[in-house]
Amino acid sequence: MRRATAAVVGIGEVPSGRFPDRSELEAAVLACKGAILDAGLGPRDIDVVMPTGALASRHFNVDLIFSRLCEELGMLRSAAMNVQVMAGGASSSSMLALAEALVSTGAARTVLCVHSDAVGSLPRQMGIDLFATTGVSEEWEAPYGHNMNAVGALISQRYMHETGSTAAELSSVCVALRKWAQLNPNAMFRSPLSLEDVMTSKIVATPLRAKHCNVLADGASAFVVARASEAAAITPTPVYVRAHASKVTHYSVSQDRDLARLGFFEAAVEAYEQSGLEPKDIHIAELYDAYPVFPLIALDALRVCRGERAGSFVAAGETSPGGSMPMTTNGGMLSQGHTGAGGGVAVLVEAFRQLMGKAGERQVPGAVNAAETASGGTWMDSHVTILSKEA
Amino acid sequence: MANTASHPNPTAWSAPFWEAAAQRRLVIQHCRSCDASIMYPKRVCPHCLGEDLGWRASKGEGEIYSVTVQKAAPPTGFEDRLPYVIAIVRLDEDVQLMTNLIGSDAEHAECGDRVTVDFETRSDIGVTLPVFRLVNPK
Ligand SMILES: [Zn+2]
Repeated sequence: MRRATAAVVGIGEVPSGRFPDRSELEAAVLACKGAILDAGLGPRDIDVVMPTGALASRHFNVDLIFSRLCEELGMLRSAAMNVQVMAGGASSSSMLALAEALVSTGAARTVLCVHSDAVGSLPRQMGIDLFATTGVSEEWEAPYGHNMNAVGALISQRYMHETGSTAAELSSVCVALRKWAQLNPNAMFRSPLSLEDVMTSKIVATPLRAKHCNVLADGASAFVVARASEAAAITPTPVYVRAHASKVTHYSVSQDRDLARLGFFEAAVEAYEQSGLEPKDIHIAELYDAYPVFPLIALDALRVCRGERAGSFVAAGETSPGGSMPMTTNGGMLSQGHTGAGGGVAVLVEAFRQLMGKAGERQVPGAVNAAETASGGTWMDSHVTILSKEA
Repeated sequence: MANTASHPNPTAWSAPFWEAAAQRRLVIQHCRSCDASIMYPKRVCPHCLGEDLGWRASKGEGEIYSVTVQKAAPPTGFEDRLPYVIAIVRLDEDVQLMTNLIGSDAEHAECGDRVTVDFETRSDIGVTLPVFRLVNPK
Protein backbone atom coordinates (compact mmCIF):
# COMPACT_ATOMS: atom_id res chain seq x y z
CA MET A 1 0.00 0.00 0.00
CA ARG A 2 1.22 3.48 -0.84
CA ARG A 3 0.31 6.87 0.64
CA ALA A 4 -1.59 9.37 -1.50
CA THR A 5 0.76 12.00 -2.92
CA ALA A 6 -1.80 13.99 -4.90
CA ALA A 7 -5.32 15.30 -4.43
CA VAL A 8 -7.93 17.04 -6.55
CA VAL A 9 -8.93 20.38 -5.04
CA GLY A 10 -11.27 21.93 -7.62
CA ILE A 11 -13.61 20.99 -10.48
CA GLY A 12 -15.37 22.86 -13.28
CA GLU A 13 -17.76 21.86 -16.05
CA VAL A 14 -20.16 23.31 -18.60
CA PRO A 15 -23.32 21.49 -19.80
CA SER A 16 -22.94 18.84 -22.53
CA GLY A 17 -25.07 18.86 -25.65
CA ARG A 18 -25.23 20.70 -28.95
CA PHE A 19 -24.23 24.33 -28.47
CA PRO A 20 -23.36 25.73 -31.91
CA ASP A 21 -23.14 29.24 -30.43
CA ARG A 22 -20.66 28.23 -27.72
CA SER A 23 -17.08 27.89 -29.02
CA GLU A 24 -14.66 25.27 -27.70
CA LEU A 25 -12.55 28.15 -26.38
CA GLU A 26 -15.43 29.68 -24.44
CA ALA A 27 -16.33 26.28 -22.96
CA ALA A 28 -12.67 25.64 -22.01
CA VAL A 29 -12.26 29.03 -20.36
CA LEU A 30 -15.47 28.63 -18.34
CA ALA A 31 -14.59 25.09 -17.22
CA CYS A 32 -11.07 26.22 -16.16
CA LYS A 33 -12.39 29.29 -14.38
CA GLY A 34 -14.87 27.05 -12.55
CA ALA A 35 -12.15 24.62 -11.43
CA ILE A 36 -9.72 27.34 -10.29
CA LEU A 37 -12.39 29.21 -8.30
CA ASP A 38 -13.83 25.97 -6.90
CA ALA A 39 -10.36 25.31 -5.45
CA GLY A 40 -10.29 28.78 -3.95
CA LEU A 41 -7.22 29.59 -6.06
CA GLY A 42 -6.36 32.23 -8.61
CA PRO A 43 -4.98 31.68 -12.13
CA ARG A 44 -1.45 32.56 -11.03
CA ASP A 45 -1.49 29.69 -8.54
CA ILE A 46 -1.46 27.19 -11.44
CA ASP A 47 2.01 25.84 -12.33
CA VAL A 48 1.15 23.51 -15.21
CA VAL A 49 -1.74 23.66 -17.68
CA MET A 50 -2.51 20.24 -19.14
CA PRO A 51 -5.16 20.29 -21.88
CA THR A 52 -6.14 17.05 -23.57
CA GLY A 53 -6.75 16.79 -27.30
CA ALA A 54 -9.69 18.23 -29.21
CA LEU A 55 -10.92 16.47 -32.36
CA ALA A 56 -13.52 18.70 -34.01
CA SER A 57 -11.25 21.63 -34.88
CA ARG A 58 -7.57 21.30 -35.67
CA HIS A 59 -7.24 25.04 -35.14
CA PHE A 60 -8.60 24.88 -31.61
CA ASN A 61 -6.42 21.86 -30.87
CA VAL A 62 -3.23 23.67 -31.81
CA ASP A 63 -4.41 26.61 -29.68
CA LEU A 64 -4.58 24.19 -26.76
CA ILE A 65 -1.07 22.93 -27.55
CA PHE A 66 0.36 26.41 -27.89
CA SER A 67 -0.66 27.99 -24.55
CA ARG A 68 -3.85 29.76 -25.62
CA LEU A 69 -5.47 28.98 -22.27
CA CYS A 70 -2.53 30.50 -20.32
CA GLU A 71 -3.02 33.73 -22.21
CA GLU A 72 -6.83 33.72 -21.92
CA LEU A 73 -6.78 32.99 -18.20
CA GLY A 74 -4.02 35.34 -17.03
CA MET A 75 -1.27 32.82 -16.37
CA LEU A 76 1.52 34.38 -18.46
CA ARG A 77 4.91 34.23 -16.72
CA SER A 78 3.37 32.42 -13.77
CA ALA A 79 2.60 29.11 -15.50
CA ALA A 80 5.77 27.05 -15.95
CA MET A 81 4.52 24.66 -18.60
CA ASN A 82 1.60 24.06 -20.97
CA VAL A 83 1.61 20.51 -22.27
CA GLN A 84 -1.03 18.48 -24.05
CA VAL A 85 -1.78 14.93 -22.90
CA MET A 86 -3.91 13.01 -25.36
CA ALA A 87 -4.96 9.40 -24.91
CA GLY A 88 -8.45 9.56 -26.41
CA GLY A 89 -11.05 8.39 -23.92
CA ALA A 90 -8.31 7.51 -21.43
CA SER A 91 -7.10 11.10 -21.30
CA SER A 92 -8.98 11.47 -18.00
CA SER A 93 -7.04 8.88 -16.02
CA SER A 94 -3.85 9.57 -17.98
CA MET A 95 -3.91 13.30 -17.18
CA LEU A 96 -4.59 12.55 -13.52
CA ALA A 97 -1.73 10.03 -13.33
CA LEU A 98 0.72 12.42 -14.98
CA ALA A 99 -0.43 15.38 -12.87
CA GLU A 100 -0.01 13.19 -9.80
CA ALA A 101 3.54 12.39 -10.89
CA LEU A 102 4.35 16.09 -11.39
CA VAL A 103 3.10 17.22 -8.00
CA SER A 104 4.53 14.25 -6.13
CA THR A 105 8.05 14.72 -7.49
CA GLY A 106 8.05 18.44 -6.72
CA ALA A 107 8.08 19.43 -10.39
CA ALA A 108 4.84 21.37 -9.82
CA ARG A 109 2.60 22.35 -6.92
CA THR A 110 -0.59 22.55 -9.00
CA VAL A 111 -1.74 21.19 -12.36
CA LEU A 112 -4.87 22.32 -14.20
CA CYS A 113 -6.25 19.51 -16.41
CA VAL A 114 -8.87 20.47 -18.97
CA HIS A 115 -10.88 19.11 -21.87
CA SER A 116 -13.04 21.01 -24.32
CA ASP A 117 -14.38 19.95 -27.70
CA ALA A 118 -17.37 20.44 -30.00
CA VAL A 119 -17.75 17.06 -31.71
CA GLY A 120 -21.51 17.29 -31.10
CA SER A 121 -21.82 20.17 -33.54
CA LEU A 122 -20.13 18.28 -36.39
CA PRO A 123 -22.44 17.02 -39.16
CA ARG A 124 -23.54 13.47 -38.24
CA GLN A 125 -21.66 11.67 -41.02
CA MET A 126 -18.49 13.63 -40.23
CA GLY A 127 -18.75 12.42 -36.64
CA ILE A 128 -19.11 8.79 -37.78
CA ASP A 129 -16.12 9.13 -40.11
CA LEU A 130 -14.01 10.91 -37.48
CA PHE A 131 -14.52 8.07 -35.01
CA ALA A 132 -13.98 5.49 -37.79
CA THR A 133 -10.35 6.62 -37.76
CA THR A 134 -9.64 6.76 -34.01
CA GLY A 135 -7.70 3.56 -33.48
CA VAL A 136 -8.96 1.97 -36.68
CA SER A 137 -6.16 0.91 -39.01
CA GLU A 138 -6.39 2.56 -42.41
CA GLU A 139 -4.60 -0.35 -44.06
CA TRP A 140 -6.04 -3.36 -42.24
CA GLU A 141 -9.49 -2.40 -40.99
CA ALA A 142 -10.97 0.60 -42.82
CA PRO A 143 -11.36 -1.36 -46.10
CA TYR A 144 -13.80 -3.67 -44.29
CA GLY A 145 -16.10 -0.81 -43.26
CA HIS A 146 -14.91 -0.91 -39.66
CA ASN A 147 -16.08 1.93 -37.40
CA MET A 148 -16.52 2.81 -33.73
CA ASN A 149 -20.00 1.30 -33.31
CA ALA A 150 -18.60 -1.95 -34.75
CA VAL A 151 -15.85 -1.87 -32.10
CA GLY A 152 -18.49 -1.64 -29.38
CA ALA A 153 -20.49 -4.36 -31.12
CA LEU A 154 -17.59 -6.82 -31.50
CA ILE A 155 -16.64 -6.45 -27.84
CA SER A 156 -20.28 -6.75 -26.73
CA GLN A 157 -20.73 -9.90 -28.80
CA ARG A 158 -17.67 -11.59 -27.32
CA TYR A 159 -18.63 -10.50 -23.79
CA MET A 160 -22.14 -11.93 -24.18
CA HIS A 161 -20.71 -15.15 -25.67
CA GLU A 162 -18.35 -15.69 -22.75
CA THR A 163 -20.48 -14.49 -19.82
CA GLY A 164 -24.00 -15.40 -20.91
CA SER A 165 -25.10 -11.79 -20.46
CA THR A 166 -28.22 -10.89 -22.41
CA ALA A 167 -29.28 -8.02 -24.66
CA ALA A 168 -31.78 -7.02 -21.98
CA GLU A 169 -28.98 -6.76 -19.43
CA LEU A 170 -26.92 -4.58 -21.74
CA SER A 171 -30.00 -2.43 -22.28
CA SER A 172 -30.50 -2.09 -18.53
CA VAL A 173 -27.16 -0.23 -18.35
CA CYS A 174 -28.62 2.48 -20.62
CA VAL A 175 -31.73 2.68 -18.45
CA ALA A 176 -29.72 3.00 -15.23
CA LEU A 177 -27.50 5.72 -16.70
CA ARG A 178 -30.53 7.68 -17.90
CA LYS A 179 -31.97 7.65 -14.38
CA TRP A 180 -28.81 9.33 -13.15
CA ALA A 181 -28.79 11.79 -16.05
CA GLN A 182 -32.31 12.88 -15.13
CA LEU A 183 -30.73 14.25 -11.94
CA ASN A 184 -27.87 15.96 -13.81
CA PRO A 185 -28.46 19.46 -15.20
CA ASN A 186 -25.30 19.13 -17.35
CA ALA A 187 -26.56 16.01 -19.17
CA MET A 188 -27.58 16.04 -22.83
CA PHE A 189 -30.42 13.49 -22.46
CA ARG A 190 -32.74 13.87 -19.48
CA SER A 191 -36.07 12.46 -20.64
CA PRO A 192 -37.16 9.07 -19.24
CA LEU A 193 -35.85 5.98 -21.05
CA SER A 194 -37.48 2.57 -20.62
CA LEU A 195 -36.04 -0.87 -21.25
CA GLU A 196 -38.54 -1.21 -24.07
CA ASP A 197 -37.36 2.06 -25.64
CA VAL A 198 -33.83 0.65 -25.77
CA MET A 199 -34.81 -2.85 -26.91
CA THR A 200 -37.00 -1.59 -29.75
CA SER A 201 -34.66 1.10 -31.07
CA LYS A 202 -33.16 0.58 -34.52
CA ILE A 203 -30.41 -2.03 -34.92
CA VAL A 204 -27.08 -0.35 -35.78
CA ALA A 205 -24.48 -3.12 -35.49
CA THR A 206 -25.64 -6.36 -33.86
CA PRO A 207 -26.12 -6.71 -30.94
CA LEU A 208 -26.13 -2.92 -30.58
CA ARG A 209 -29.23 -0.82 -31.18
CA ALA A 210 -29.35 2.93 -31.54
CA LYS A 211 -29.95 3.50 -27.82
CA HIS A 212 -26.87 1.39 -26.99
CA CYS A 213 -24.73 3.83 -28.97
CA ASN A 214 -23.48 7.09 -27.52
CA VAL A 215 -24.29 10.42 -29.14
CA LEU A 216 -21.57 12.99 -29.78
CA ALA A 217 -21.81 16.19 -27.74
CA ASP A 218 -20.06 19.49 -27.15
CA GLY A 219 -18.71 19.87 -23.66
CA ALA A 220 -15.86 20.87 -21.36
CA SER A 221 -14.66 19.92 -17.91
CA ALA A 222 -11.59 20.67 -15.81
CA PHE A 223 -9.96 19.83 -12.50
CA VAL A 224 -7.04 21.06 -10.40
CA VAL A 225 -4.51 18.64 -8.92
CA ALA A 226 -2.35 19.62 -5.92
CA ARG A 227 0.09 17.93 -3.55
CA ALA A 228 -1.69 15.72 -1.02
CA SER A 229 0.27 17.42 1.79
CA GLU A 230 -1.07 20.85 0.80
CA ALA A 231 -4.58 19.89 -0.32
CA ALA A 232 -6.36 20.30 3.01
CA ALA A 233 -5.01 23.83 3.33
CA ILE A 234 -6.40 24.69 -0.13
CA THR A 235 -9.89 23.21 0.17
CA PRO A 236 -12.09 21.63 2.85
CA THR A 237 -13.06 18.88 0.35
CA PRO A 238 -9.87 17.39 -1.17
CA VAL A 239 -10.16 14.08 -3.04
CA TYR A 240 -7.05 11.94 -2.71
CA VAL A 241 -5.64 9.74 -5.46
CA ARG A 242 -5.14 6.41 -3.71
CA ALA A 243 -4.25 4.25 -6.70
CA HIS A 244 -3.91 4.20 -10.47
CA ALA A 245 -3.11 1.14 -12.57
CA SER A 246 -3.45 0.55 -16.29
CA LYS A 247 -2.60 -1.81 -19.13
CA VAL A 248 -2.33 -1.18 -22.85
CA THR A 249 -3.87 -4.22 -24.55
CA HIS A 250 -3.94 -3.34 -28.26
CA TYR A 251 -3.99 -0.74 -31.00
CA SER A 252 -6.25 -2.66 -33.37
CA VAL A 253 -9.23 -4.26 -31.65
CA SER A 254 -8.74 -7.32 -33.87
CA GLN A 255 -5.43 -8.00 -32.10
CA ASP A 256 -6.84 -8.29 -28.56
CA ARG A 257 -7.14 -11.91 -27.47
CA ASP A 258 -9.35 -11.25 -24.43
CA LEU A 259 -12.09 -8.85 -25.47
CA ALA A 260 -14.45 -9.96 -22.68
CA ARG A 261 -12.00 -8.65 -20.05
CA LEU A 262 -9.62 -6.29 -21.85
CA GLY A 263 -6.96 -5.10 -19.35
CA PHE A 264 -9.42 -4.18 -16.60
CA PHE A 265 -8.96 -7.31 -14.49
CA GLU A 266 -5.18 -6.89 -14.20
CA ALA A 267 -5.51 -3.15 -13.60
CA ALA A 268 -8.13 -3.64 -10.87
CA VAL A 269 -6.01 -6.15 -8.95
CA GLU A 270 -3.06 -3.78 -9.07
CA ALA A 271 -5.15 -0.74 -8.06
CA TYR A 272 -6.65 -2.52 -5.05
CA GLU A 273 -3.18 -3.58 -3.99
CA GLN A 274 -1.81 -0.02 -4.24
CA SER A 275 -4.74 1.50 -2.37
CA GLY A 276 -4.93 -1.00 0.46
CA LEU A 277 -8.68 -1.04 -0.18
CA GLU A 278 -10.89 -3.99 -1.11
CA PRO A 279 -14.00 -4.29 -3.27
CA LYS A 280 -16.22 -3.99 -0.16
CA ASP A 281 -14.68 -0.56 0.56
CA ILE A 282 -15.86 0.96 -2.74
CA HIS A 283 -19.00 3.10 -2.38
CA ILE A 284 -19.43 4.40 -5.92
CA ALA A 285 -18.19 3.22 -9.32
CA GLU A 286 -17.65 5.95 -11.91
CA LEU A 287 -17.14 3.73 -14.96
CA TYR A 288 -16.30 4.77 -18.50
CA ASP A 289 -19.11 3.70 -20.80
CA ALA A 290 -19.58 4.93 -24.38
CA TYR A 291 -21.30 1.53 -24.92
CA PRO A 292 -23.10 -0.49 -22.22
CA VAL A 293 -20.70 -3.45 -22.27
CA PHE A 294 -17.81 -1.44 -20.83
CA PRO A 295 -19.29 -0.65 -17.41
CA LEU A 296 -20.22 -4.36 -17.20
CA ILE A 297 -16.62 -5.45 -17.87
CA ALA A 298 -15.41 -2.90 -15.31
CA LEU A 299 -17.94 -4.05 -12.68
CA ASP A 300 -16.78 -7.65 -13.17
CA ALA A 301 -13.14 -6.57 -12.88
CA LEU A 302 -13.72 -4.44 -9.77
CA ARG A 303 -15.65 -7.31 -8.09
CA VAL A 304 -18.23 -4.94 -6.62
CA CYS A 305 -21.37 -6.95 -7.56
CA ARG A 306 -21.39 -9.10 -4.40
CA GLY A 307 -20.63 -12.22 -6.41
CA GLU A 308 -23.35 -11.61 -8.95
CA ARG A 309 -22.80 -11.32 -12.69
CA ALA A 310 -22.52 -7.63 -13.62
CA GLY A 311 -25.40 -7.88 -16.11
CA SER A 312 -27.92 -9.24 -13.62
CA PHE A 313 -26.64 -6.83 -10.95
CA VAL A 314 -27.36 -3.82 -13.18
CA ALA A 315 -30.67 -5.27 -14.41
CA ALA A 316 -31.77 -5.59 -10.77
CA GLY A 317 -31.30 -1.83 -10.34
CA GLU A 318 -28.29 -2.09 -8.02
CA THR A 319 -26.38 0.60 -9.94
CA SER A 320 -29.34 2.99 -10.34
CA PRO A 321 -30.18 5.86 -7.96
CA GLY A 322 -30.92 4.27 -4.59
CA GLY A 323 -29.02 1.06 -5.48
CA SER A 324 -26.17 -0.50 -3.52
CA MET A 325 -23.43 0.45 -6.04
CA PRO A 326 -24.19 3.81 -7.66
CA MET A 327 -22.52 3.73 -11.07
CA THR A 328 -21.52 6.48 -13.52
CA THR A 329 -23.71 8.96 -11.70
CA ASN A 330 -23.49 11.75 -14.28
CA GLY A 331 -25.29 9.51 -16.79
CA GLY A 332 -22.12 8.63 -18.68
CA MET A 333 -21.52 9.20 -22.35
CA LEU A 334 -24.74 7.33 -23.12
CA SER A 335 -26.78 10.09 -21.43
CA GLN A 336 -24.53 13.05 -20.59
CA GLY A 337 -23.13 12.85 -24.13
CA HIS A 338 -19.84 11.74 -25.72
CA THR A 339 -17.67 14.85 -25.91
CA GLY A 340 -14.64 13.16 -27.53
CA ALA A 341 -11.63 12.69 -25.26
CA GLY A 342 -13.70 14.45 -22.62
CA GLY A 343 -16.40 11.82 -22.18
CA GLY A 344 -14.05 10.16 -19.74
CA VAL A 345 -12.98 13.45 -18.16
CA ALA A 346 -16.62 14.15 -17.29
CA VAL A 347 -16.90 10.72 -15.65
CA LEU A 348 -13.72 11.38 -13.65
CA VAL A 349 -14.91 14.87 -12.64
CA GLU A 350 -18.16 13.26 -11.47
CA ALA A 351 -16.14 10.96 -9.18
CA PHE A 352 -14.46 14.03 -7.63
CA ARG A 353 -17.83 15.82 -7.41
CA GLN A 354 -19.43 12.96 -5.52
CA LEU A 355 -16.56 12.64 -3.05
CA MET A 356 -16.52 16.42 -2.58
CA GLY A 357 -20.23 16.26 -1.70
CA LYS A 358 -21.12 18.64 -4.55
CA ALA A 359 -23.37 16.37 -6.64
CA GLY A 360 -26.64 18.08 -5.71
CA GLU A 361 -29.77 16.05 -6.31
CA ARG A 362 -27.81 12.94 -7.23
CA GLN A 363 -25.36 13.12 -4.31
CA VAL A 364 -24.66 9.64 -2.93
CA PRO A 365 -24.73 10.04 0.84
CA GLY A 366 -21.71 8.74 2.74
CA ALA A 367 -19.54 8.03 -0.31
CA VAL A 368 -15.91 7.94 0.87
CA ASN A 369 -14.16 5.78 -1.74
CA ALA A 370 -14.74 5.68 -5.49
CA ALA A 371 -13.41 3.51 -8.30
CA GLU A 372 -13.08 5.12 -11.72
CA THR A 373 -12.26 3.53 -15.08
CA ALA A 374 -11.31 4.82 -18.51
CA SER A 375 -10.18 3.59 -21.90
CA GLY A 376 -9.11 5.19 -25.18
CA GLY A 377 -9.36 4.49 -28.90
CA THR A 378 -10.78 1.04 -29.56
CA TRP A 379 -10.41 0.22 -25.82
CA MET A 380 -6.67 0.16 -26.37
CA ASP A 381 -6.00 0.51 -22.65
CA SER A 382 -7.74 -0.17 -19.36
CA HIS A 383 -7.33 2.29 -16.50
CA VAL A 384 -8.51 1.84 -12.91
CA THR A 385 -8.19 4.74 -10.46
CA ILE A 386 -9.19 4.62 -6.79
CA LEU A 387 -10.09 7.91 -5.12
CA SER A 388 -10.90 8.69 -1.51
CA LYS A 389 -11.88 11.46 0.86
CA GLU A 390 -9.20 9.96 3.11
CA ALA A 391 -5.49 10.43 2.38
CA MET B 1 -13.74 13.95 -44.58
CA ALA B 2 -11.86 11.37 -46.58
CA ASN B 3 -13.74 8.46 -48.05
CA THR B 4 -12.91 5.74 -45.55
CA ALA B 5 -13.32 3.05 -48.20
CA SER B 6 -9.73 3.71 -49.13
CA HIS B 7 -7.01 1.64 -50.66
CA PRO B 8 -5.03 -0.15 -47.97
CA ASN B 9 -1.90 1.90 -48.78
CA PRO B 10 0.65 -0.89 -48.41
CA THR B 11 3.97 -0.21 -46.73
CA ALA B 12 7.25 -1.67 -47.99
CA TRP B 13 6.91 -4.49 -45.46
CA SER B 14 3.21 -5.21 -46.02
CA ALA B 15 3.25 -5.16 -49.83
CA PRO B 16 3.89 -8.94 -50.11
CA PHE B 17 0.70 -9.58 -48.11
CA TRP B 18 -1.40 -7.62 -50.63
CA GLU B 19 0.45 -9.08 -53.62
CA ALA B 20 -0.38 -12.57 -52.33
CA ALA B 21 -4.02 -11.57 -51.74
CA ALA B 22 -4.23 -10.36 -55.34
CA GLN B 23 -3.26 -13.96 -56.29
CA ARG B 24 -5.90 -15.29 -53.87
CA ARG B 25 -3.38 -16.51 -51.32
CA LEU B 26 -3.38 -15.65 -47.60
CA VAL B 27 0.10 -15.31 -46.13
CA ILE B 28 1.36 -14.66 -42.62
CA GLN B 29 4.57 -12.81 -41.82
CA HIS B 30 7.14 -14.99 -40.06
CA CYS B 31 10.23 -14.16 -37.98
CA ARG B 32 13.20 -16.36 -38.88
CA SER B 33 15.00 -15.36 -35.68
CA CYS B 34 12.39 -16.40 -33.11
CA ASP B 35 9.88 -18.36 -35.24
CA ALA B 36 6.97 -16.00 -34.36
CA SER B 37 3.94 -15.63 -36.61
CA ILE B 38 3.18 -11.93 -36.99
CA MET B 39 -0.17 -10.29 -37.78
CA TYR B 40 -0.42 -7.58 -38.94
CA PRO B 41 2.86 -7.42 -40.90
CA LYS B 42 5.43 -5.29 -39.12
CA ARG B 43 8.76 -3.57 -39.81
CA VAL B 44 10.43 -5.43 -36.94
CA CYS B 45 9.37 -8.57 -35.11
CA PRO B 46 7.36 -7.45 -32.04
CA HIS B 47 8.62 -10.50 -30.12
CA CYS B 48 12.40 -10.19 -30.62
CA LEU B 49 12.75 -6.92 -32.61
CA GLY B 50 14.52 -8.96 -35.29
CA GLU B 51 14.45 -7.87 -38.92
CA ASP B 52 14.94 -11.24 -40.63
CA LEU B 53 11.31 -11.56 -41.65
CA GLY B 54 9.69 -13.76 -44.31
CA TRP B 55 6.31 -15.20 -45.26
CA ARG B 56 4.44 -18.44 -44.80
CA ALA B 57 1.26 -19.62 -46.48
CA SER B 58 -1.78 -19.77 -44.22
CA LYS B 59 -4.24 -22.66 -44.53
CA GLY B 60 -6.88 -19.94 -44.50
CA GLU B 61 -8.97 -21.64 -41.86
CA GLY B 62 -9.98 -20.59 -38.41
CA GLU B 63 -12.86 -19.55 -36.20
CA ILE B 64 -14.85 -16.44 -35.52
CA TYR B 65 -13.57 -14.66 -32.43
CA SER B 66 -16.28 -12.01 -32.68
CA VAL B 67 -18.74 -10.77 -35.26
CA THR B 68 -21.22 -7.98 -35.93
CA VAL B 69 -23.75 -7.24 -38.66
CA GLN B 70 -23.53 -3.58 -39.58
CA LYS B 71 -27.06 -2.46 -40.46
CA ALA B 72 -26.89 1.33 -40.13
CA ALA B 73 -24.60 4.34 -39.65
CA PRO B 74 -21.69 3.06 -41.78
CA PRO B 75 -18.59 5.10 -42.54
CA THR B 76 -18.60 7.05 -45.81
CA GLY B 77 -18.26 4.75 -48.81
CA PHE B 78 -20.12 1.80 -47.25
CA GLU B 79 -23.72 3.04 -47.55
CA ASP B 80 -24.47 0.75 -50.50
CA ARG B 81 -22.94 -2.30 -48.83
CA LEU B 82 -25.42 -2.39 -45.92
CA PRO B 83 -25.98 -4.80 -44.34
CA TYR B 84 -22.43 -6.14 -44.14
CA VAL B 85 -20.72 -8.43 -41.67
CA ILE B 86 -17.51 -7.47 -39.83
CA ALA B 87 -15.67 -10.23 -38.01
CA ILE B 88 -12.48 -10.88 -36.13
CA VAL B 89 -11.13 -14.26 -37.22
CA ARG B 90 -8.62 -16.29 -35.23
CA LEU B 91 -6.70 -18.37 -37.77
CA ASP B 92 -5.55 -21.89 -36.93
CA GLU B 93 -2.01 -20.48 -37.08
CA ASP B 94 -3.05 -18.57 -33.90
CA VAL B 95 -3.06 -15.02 -35.26
CA GLN B 96 -6.11 -12.78 -35.59
CA LEU B 97 -7.32 -10.40 -38.25
CA MET B 98 -10.28 -8.24 -39.08
CA THR B 99 -12.34 -9.17 -42.11
CA ASN B 100 -15.78 -9.31 -43.71
CA LEU B 101 -17.85 -12.47 -43.73
CA ILE B 102 -19.54 -13.09 -47.07
CA GLY B 103 -22.21 -15.52 -48.18
CA SER B 104 -25.98 -15.56 -47.76
CA ASP B 105 -25.72 -17.04 -44.25
CA ALA B 106 -23.03 -14.66 -42.99
CA GLU B 107 -25.55 -12.64 -40.97
CA HIS B 108 -26.23 -15.69 -38.81
CA ALA B 109 -22.57 -16.24 -37.86
CA GLU B 110 -21.71 -16.63 -34.18
CA CYS B 111 -18.58 -16.62 -32.06
CA GLY B 112 -16.75 -19.92 -32.46
CA ASP B 113 -18.08 -20.76 -35.94
CA ARG B 114 -15.50 -22.25 -38.33
CA VAL B 115 -14.61 -20.15 -41.35
CA THR B 116 -12.51 -20.46 -44.48
CA VAL B 117 -10.81 -17.75 -46.51
CA ASP B 118 -12.08 -16.35 -49.78
CA PHE B 119 -11.08 -13.24 -51.69
CA GLU B 120 -13.08 -10.25 -52.83
CA THR B 121 -11.80 -7.88 -55.47
CA ARG B 122 -12.98 -4.40 -54.65
CA SER B 123 -12.81 -2.39 -57.82
CA ASP B 124 -13.86 0.80 -55.94
CA ILE B 125 -10.59 0.81 -54.02
CA GLY B 126 -8.53 -1.26 -56.45
CA VAL B 127 -7.56 -4.08 -54.11
CA THR B 128 -8.25 -7.75 -53.39
CA LEU B 129 -9.22 -8.28 -49.75
CA PRO B 130 -9.09 -11.54 -47.81
CA VAL B 131 -12.65 -12.25 -46.64
CA PHE B 132 -14.16 -15.36 -45.05
CA ARG B 133 -17.15 -17.69 -45.41
CA LEU B 134 -18.79 -20.04 -42.92
CA VAL B 135 -17.58 -23.64 -43.35
CA ASN B 136 -20.94 -25.10 -42.28
CA PRO B 137 -23.82 -23.30 -44.01
CA LYS B 138 -26.64 -22.06 -41.75
ZN1 LIG C 1 11.19 -12.53 -33.74
